[in-house]
Amino acid sequence: MSLLVGGGMVVFYSAAFGLGGPLFVSIGTVVLPVFAVSGGIGGALVFTNDRTKGVLEYLVAYGVSPRRILFNALASGLVQVTIILGVGITAGVTTYLLSGYALTLRLPETLLIYTFPMSYLTVCMMTTLGVFWTALSSPRSGMNSPIGVLPMVGVLPTAVVLVLALTFSAHATEIALGAELAIFLVVLSLLTRTDRLMPTERLLSPT
Amino acid sequence: MSGRPVSVTPSHVQGNGLSLTCRSLHSGYRDKPVLHDVSFTVDRPAVYVVLGPNGAGKTTLFRTIAGILRPTSGEVFIDGVPVAQQSSRDQLHYLSHMDGIPDGLTVRESLDFYAQVERATSADVERVLDQLEIREFSNTFISKLSAGQRKRVSIARVFLRERGIYLLDEPTASLDPKVAREIRSLILELSKDRIVLYSSHNLFEAHEIGQFVITLKGGALTLFDRMENVRSAHFIIGVRTLEPTPVLADWGRKGDYYVRELPGPEQVPTLIRDLEAQGVRLREVREMENPLEDLFT
Repeated sequence: MSLLVGGGMVVFYSAAFGLGGPLFVSIGTVVLPVFAVSGGIGGALVFTNDRTKGVLEYLVAYGVSPRRILFNALASGLVQVTIILGVGITAGVTTYLLSGYALTLRLPETLLIYTFPMSYLTVCMMTTLGVFWTALSSPRSGMNSPIGVLPMVGVLPTAVVLVLALTFSAHATEIALGAELAIFLVVLSLLTRTDRLMPTERLLSPT
Repeated sequence: MSGRPVSVTPSHVQGNGLSLTCRSLHSGYRDKPVLHDVSFTVDRPAVYVVLGPNGAGKTTLFRTIAGILRPTSGEVFIDGVPVAQQSSRDQLHYLSHMDGIPDGLTVRESLDFYAQVERATSADVERVLDQLEIREFSNTFISKLSAGQRKRVSIARVFLRERGIYLLDEPTASLDPKVAREIRSLILELSKDRIVLYSSHNLFEAHEIGQFVITLKGGALTLFDRMENVRSAHFIIGVRTLEPTPVLADWGRKGDYYVRELPGPEQVPTLIRDLEAQGVRLREVREMENPLEDLFT
């Protein structure tokens, strides 16, 4: 469902920016990670749901390790991000070209330096945090649950980077690369703590 | 009868070669120890009913045997191999008290998913669809099923592939009596050459299906014995007659029933013959109390 909503929104958004030509490159591509976050929450959602339903307990009993369960959640989130970015960029580029604008090097440059890495890394961070948080906390729903708060956690790095890049526009590239490195290190650091933050007993259904 | 752990060792019953041993098992959750020094060995095919009041540690015992919870001390072995090893876990089927079925899938898709985990085939999926009588809703989404239907799908998993030891945590909870009886008969069939540990709150069910009884209280093993030994010590029979009779005047009464304690169920045919010989016209003869109730107190 999150994928459908995110996919629908990103197609509409990108297509609209594509009509604006250069606006798609300068603004459209830098906001795409926000859509990636909304669409890529599926991995954490599935984890939370499977835990509640007792699916994870079953998998653990059959020898599936918590690490593999986490990586599956990550893979699921990343696949969804790929879909979101794929349809978003395709829609944007299509309307961009149909509007008579010529492609410049700036587009692939922005996508490679910012849109792709920021999208994938923030979803990795959001999913890892969401999985650990869900595993370590008592189950609850609503806006104060891990899943309720998670999209904000995912959007936060993108928002900070955008504000900093606009404020110090001469160093926008360095700011983006620095943020990506920082997020990468956070994700790496979290992943090395999987066994401690995700013991098998925390994967049991709380009911 | 309660409070006397009995070690069960193989004697005259030929097993499937597997054994399950819990040795001085202490286990529980991070902030809550549950099991205390639980030791037993089962090594013959049978249904071992695990009984105990809520919080006694039945689910914790199953989760520890299944390798989901790591014991704080003690060990679980399957055929002498620690359960922490995958080769050992491959001998186990575990059915938790939760359905454990992912949402958003149809019955067939969820069984295909489990078949992948179990390394079973699509032919196995087709077989269990018939075996558990769930084919008619095989294309229905799990979320559309009743609780009983979901339970049947959940149980179907353990029939996808044969293993030596089955841990079934309240497998017939929320099933209607007819389906529960069918499931029990499948499990009884299974137990002819498999070890089945079966937890239940339903004492009559336990009585019906179990060849052995294991009771837990406060996380400790309080009894491990043959079911007939539990039965024979507390067998109360109830009789209803077609008309009042002075023959039963010295029996106790419970509602419409005349009740009496017998040494064991094997005495029932003799008793019926005696009563009929004295001209008593019997309407119903039944076991009045489940002796397993005593094990809960």
